[in-house]
Amino acid sequence: MLHLFNKQILIGSPVNGKVVDLNEVNDPVFSGRTLGDGCAVIPQGNRICSPCNGKIVQIIDTNHAFCILSDDGLEILVHIGLDTVKLKGTGFKRLKEEGMPVKMGEPVMEVDLSYLREQKKEIITPIVITNMEKVSSLKIAKGTTDSSGIIMKVKLK
Amino acid sequence: MQQFIYTVKDENGLHARPAGLLTQCAKACSSDIRILKGEKSADAKRLFSVMALGVAVQDEITFQIEGPDEEADCAKLKAFCEENL
Repeated sequence: MLHLFNKQILIGSPVNGKVVDLNEVNDPVFSGRTLGDGCAVIPQGNRICSPCNGKIVQIIDTNHAFCILSDDGLEILVHIGLDTVKLKGTGFKRLKEEGMPVKMGEPVMEVDLSYLREQKKEIITPIVITNMEKVSSLKIAKGTTDSSGIIMKVKLK
Repeated sequence: MQQFIYTVKDENGLHARPAGLLTQCAKACSSDIRILKGEKSADAKRLFSVMALGVAVQDEITFQIEGPDEEADCAKLKAFCEENL
């Protein structure tokens, strides 16, 4: 059953908006792939969802980022906005807790985008695979997306 | 094994950016590197593992470095911490 090898994994958008390359993220920690590879979404909606089926392994105390371990073993970081750690949790509301299983498209965090803009924070939201050593190829579907529309196709090693 | 204790000075703790820089520094080392915080322990080369420690400002974390190049790697990590965390 050859097709079982190099299975293609689909990563969904955490929010409706526009999908862009990580190079367009105005923060070298993302654009330079320090944290891993992936893409970013410029959100138009305020509910940030899980990009895959898996488990929430961590929600950062300040609620601006969360980590999902996918059922396929990918470790995916969703980072809502840039430099948003400094908001210390204001503008974010948890809809789920750490340890909970999640499905692709299930809302994890609610974000007040207008508050982020008021605070002069960029709302662009990187979605990064942090254990790239498991990945053999990654394709990004740029352009407009719905929440849980496919934004990345990943093949495992 | 080499070991050192570091008190985190970054007011936001080990959030994504510093944790990412730290794992990048650790990945460049050949040694096995563990980070201990209280009862918890992390693989310094894995971002999720490091972030799961939930390190906050003023937390003391212990680095344990083991391998043929442990002395050089320990010095590298110490310098990284002083500069970035």
